[in-house]
Amino acid sequence: MQSKTSFFNRTLFRKNLSRYWPLWGFASFVGFLAPAAALVRMAQSGSMSVEPLVVRQSYYYLVGDIVPIISLVYAILCAMAVWNYLYNPRSVGMMHSLPIRRQGLFLTNLLSGLAMMAIPYLVAGGLGTLLFACCGGFDAWGTLATVLAVIGQSVTFFGLATFCAFLTGNIFALPVLYFLFNFLAPLGDWLCNLFARGFLFGFTADYSGSVDFLCPVVYLTQRLYVNTEMSYQEVFNVQGGGHSTEYVITSVTLENAWLIAAYAAAGLVFLALAYLLYRRRESERAGDVVAVRVFRPVFRFGVATLSALLGGRLLYALLWESFQVGDTFTPVPLAICLIVAGLIGYYAASMLLAKSLRVFRGSAVGALCLVAACVAFCAGMRYDLFGIERRIPDQNEITQLEIYLARNTYYLTPEDQPELLSGAQDLQRTLIAQKDLIRSNYETYRHGGSSSDPDASTNIRYIYTLKNGATVERFYVVSFARSDLQTSGSYANVMDSFVNSPALRQARLRWGDPEFHVESGSFDSQSTGDYFNLGTQECETLLSAIARDAENGNWGRYDWFEDDGTAYAMDLSFDFYRDLIDEHGTHYRSYDSIYITVRPEMTETKQALLDLNLATEQDFVTWQELNGITTEA
Amino acid sequence: MIQVKNLTMPQGSVYGLVGPNGAGKSTLIRHLTGIYRPDSGSITIDGQPVWENAALKARIAAIPDDWYYFNTASIRDMMRFYRGFYPRFSQERYEKLRDIFRLDEKRPIRRLSKGMQKQAAFWLSLSAMPDCLILDEPVDGLDPVMRRQVWSLVMGDVSERGTTVLVSSHNLRELEDVCDHVGILDHGKVLLERSLAQLQDNMVKLQVVFPDGITEVPAEIPVLHASKIGRIHTLILRMNADEATALLAQYQPLLVDAVPLTLEEIFIYELGGADYAVKDIVL
Repeated sequence: MQSKTSFFNRTLFRKNLSRYWPLWGFASFVGFLAPAAALVRMAQSGSMSVEPLVVRQSYYYLVGDIVPIISLVYAILCAMAVWNYLYNPRSVGMMHSLPIRRQGLFLTNLLSGLAMMAIPYLVAGGLGTLLFACCGGFDAWGTLATVLAVIGQSVTFFGLATFCAFLTGNIFALPVLYFLFNFLAPLGDWLCNLFARGFLFGFTADYSGSVDFLCPVVYLTQRLYVNTEMSYQEVFNVQGGGHSTEYVITSVTLENAWLIAAYAAAGLVFLALAYLLYRRRESERAGDVVAVRVFRPVFRFGVATLSALLGGRLLYALLWESFQVGDTFTPVPLAICLIVAGLIGYYAASMLLAKSLRVFRGSAVGALCLVAACVAFCAGMRYDLFGIERRIPDQNEITQLEIYLARNTYYLTPEDQPELLSGAQDLQRTLIAQKDLIRSNYETYRHGGSSSDPDASTNIRYIYTLKNGATVERFYVVSFARSDLQTSGSYANVMDSFVNSPALRQARLRWGDPEFHVESGSFDSQSTGDYFNLGTQECETLLSAIARDAENGNWGRYDWFEDDGTAYAMDLSFDFYRDLIDEHGTHYRSYDSIYITVRPEMTETKQALLDLNLATEQDFVTWQELNGITTEA
Repeated sequence: MIQVKNLTMPQGSVYGLVGPNGAGKSTLIRHLTGIYRPDSGSITIDGQPVWENAALKARIAAIPDDWYYFNTASIRDMMRFYRGFYPRFSQERYEKLRDIFRLDEKRPIRRLSKGMQKQAAFWLSLSAMPDCLILDEPVDGLDPVMRRQVWSLVMGDVSERGTTVLVSSHNLRELEDVCDHVGILDHGKVLLERSLAQLQDNMVKLQVVFPDGITEVPAEIPVLHASKIGRIHTLILRMNADEATALLAQYQPLLVDAVPLTLEEIFIYELGGADYAVKDIVL
C-alpha cells in the first residue's frame, strides 16, 4: 500500500510511457537507423572489423555534434507529453485530486520524461555497441563516457524544458517559451550588435558570441570537440613491394567534456526551480500563458522589448532606411518605430495574459514606461551614454592589440611595443574625435564628387585582447583626400604619420622579430609574367635586403594612393607564421602575410632579386612604363 | 473567493450543497478534493488538512461535473490507473458493478455517450471504496432508471459502510429525496446549513383566509413571501407551524392550513433575503 502514496507512482510512470509510446517509439526507430546505416556501410566496404578507438571517435563526434541538437528538440516533446496535464483544467483537476503529493507527481513525471528521452538513445546506443562489439570494436571507456554525456545533455535540456513547463499554463506557449529561453542569449547578442552597429562609430560586429555559454546547444556544439592523436608508420607491402604510410589512432579524447557536467548541473538547478514553482503553482492557472504571478510583468515587458527591438527595426527598414544618410540610424524615426512596435507587443502580451481584448483601461502607466524606455534607448545609443564607442582600453588592461592598418597586420603588446601601442591608441582617439567628419567624408567618397573630394579609402581594424580574456573590436573606414595628409592634426595626417613612422616600418617587415618565422613567399612579375614560389631561404635573403633598404631610407613609405605608377610592376609577398597557445593551453600556429611594393630606389632588394635569379633587368619596369608599353602595343 | 468557516458533514450523512450559479459550489469541491489550495485557512476532513495529504485523499473519491479520462483510455485502462493510486480499490466490487453498469470496458471512453461516461465515473469511484464521496451534478445525463440505480448504490454505501456523501446539484427535487443535510452557498459564503428536517421545520407555508375586513396581510406578520388568489392568502414565514398558527390566531382567521415546503421553495425563500428573490416578471 505504501507505494501507492509514496514519492514515486509506478502506475503513473507506466501510464506515461504507454500513453506516449508513439513519441519514443518513433524516436527509437530514428535511433535504430544509425547502427543500421553503419552496418550497411561496413557490409558495402567489405570490412567487418573496426578498431575500438575508431568507435570511440564516432561516439564522441555524435556527443559533440548531434546529441545536443537532438536533445534540444526531443526534450521539449517529452516535456510536453509528461506535463501536458497542467494545461487543462479537467486533467489538472483529476491528477491533483489523486492520492499522491505534488512531490510524487513531479518525481514520477520527471522520471517518465527522462525515461522517454533515454529509450531512443538506449536503442541506438545498445544496437550500435552490439554491432561494433561483434566487429571487435567494443570500447568500454568510450561507451561509458558517451552514456554519461547523453544522460548529462538529456538532463540539461529536459531540466530547462521542465522549468519552462511550470512557468506557463498553456501547451502552445511551452515550446515558444522553451526555444526563446534557449536562444534568448544569442538573440540578445545579435540585437545588441544590430543596434550598436547602427549607432556607434567603429562598431561593426554582427555577433559577439560573448554570451553563447547561456545557450547550451550552441556552446556545446562549438566547444565540444574530438581530439584525435595519430601516429604514422611506414608499411612495407610484401606482395607488391614498396612502402606506404599508414596512420594509427593512438588516443581519442572529448575536449571540454566538463561542460556537459556543468550544463547538467544547471539542468538539475532548473529542475529544482521547477519543483519549487510546482509547489506554489495554482491549479486554476491551467490555460494561462503565464502560470506564475510574478512572471506576468516579466512576460509583458519581455514581449514588449523583443517586439520593440525586432519589430521596430523591421518598421524602420520598411519606412525610413531609404531616407537615412549613411549607415547610421536616424534616432527620431527609429524611436518612433520602436515605440509603435513596442506598444503592439505590450498590448498583445497584455491580451494574452488577460485572455481578453479589453486591456487598454488602466494600462497607461506601463505603456508610458515603455515609450520612455524606447526614447531613452535611442538617446543613450545616439549620445553613447555608456561610452562604448569612446572606449579605448588602458595599456595595463591589454594583453595584445592586433591592428590591421595600411594592408598589414601588427601585433602590439604593452611589454614589447609600448610606444607603437600608444601611437595606435592616439590614432584611434583622433578617429573617434573626428567621427562626424570621417562619416561625412566616407559618404562623399562613396557617392563620388569633385576632384577636391576624398579619393582614397582604407580600413583600420583594432582587436584588443584584454587580460580578462575579453576582446574589444573596432573597425573604421577612413576616406581622405591627398591634401588631408598634409593638414596637421587631421585624422589622415595622424594616420599617415603613424603608418610611416620608423618604428612601424620596422614592425611591418618583422625582420628580426623572434616571434615571426618566414615560411614562404611569392614573386610575380607583371612585365614578363614570371611567377615564383619562394622558399624560406630566398625569403630570408630578400627580407634582409629590404631591411637594408629600410635602413637606407629607401623602403617603407606607405603609398595611400598607389596610383602614381612609379613602383615596379611586380608583386612580392612573404608568408609568416608564429606559434601561439590558445586559452585552453593548446598550441596552434597563426599565419599572415606582408606585401612589399618594390620601388627603383630599393637597390638592395633589386640586387637580391637579380642574385637569386628571380628577376632579370626586363622585369624592372614601373607601372607607368608597363602601362605605356601596353598602350603602345 | 470562498469564505467557508465551518461546513460540517456528519459521517455517514448525505450532504446536499445548493446555491445559485456562481455561488462557488464547484470551487468549494475543488478545495475539498485538494485541487485548489486555500488562500488562507485550511480545509480539513476528520481534522486533517486535505491539501497535499495523500493518505486522506486516498479515502476521497470525487466525480466532477466534467470528469476527465485519458484520451484513448477505456474503462478498464482507467480502472487499472485508479487501482494504482487508491489503496482500497476493490477489484471484487469492480467486477460486481460490471453487471449493474453493463458498459463495454474495452471501448474508448470518449466513444461512450455522456450518460455512459457518467456511469463509468460512478463505477470507478465506487470501486475505490471511498469513505467520502464528492459528487458535482452527479446524475446529469443519466436516464431515470440509471439515476435510481446510481442513488441506490450510493445509499447502499452510506448505510453499509458509513460513506459520507457531498452532493452539489441544482436538481433540488432529487436532493430532497437523498439528502439528510443541506447547506446553502451564496457568493462564496454558507448562508445556512441544517438537517433537512430542521430546515423544513424552520419555515412554514400557510394558506390563510382572513375574516371580512382584513383584505391584506397585516403588516405585523413577518412574511417572507405572500400571494393571494381570491380570499386565500399563501404566506411563507420563517418560523415553525405552531408559532405561525399562534401568531395568526389574533386575527381570527377563517382558515389556517399548513402546507409542506419543498427544498426548492426553501432554497428560493432563503436566498430571497440575499437579493435572490424570484421576480414576478411580466413581459
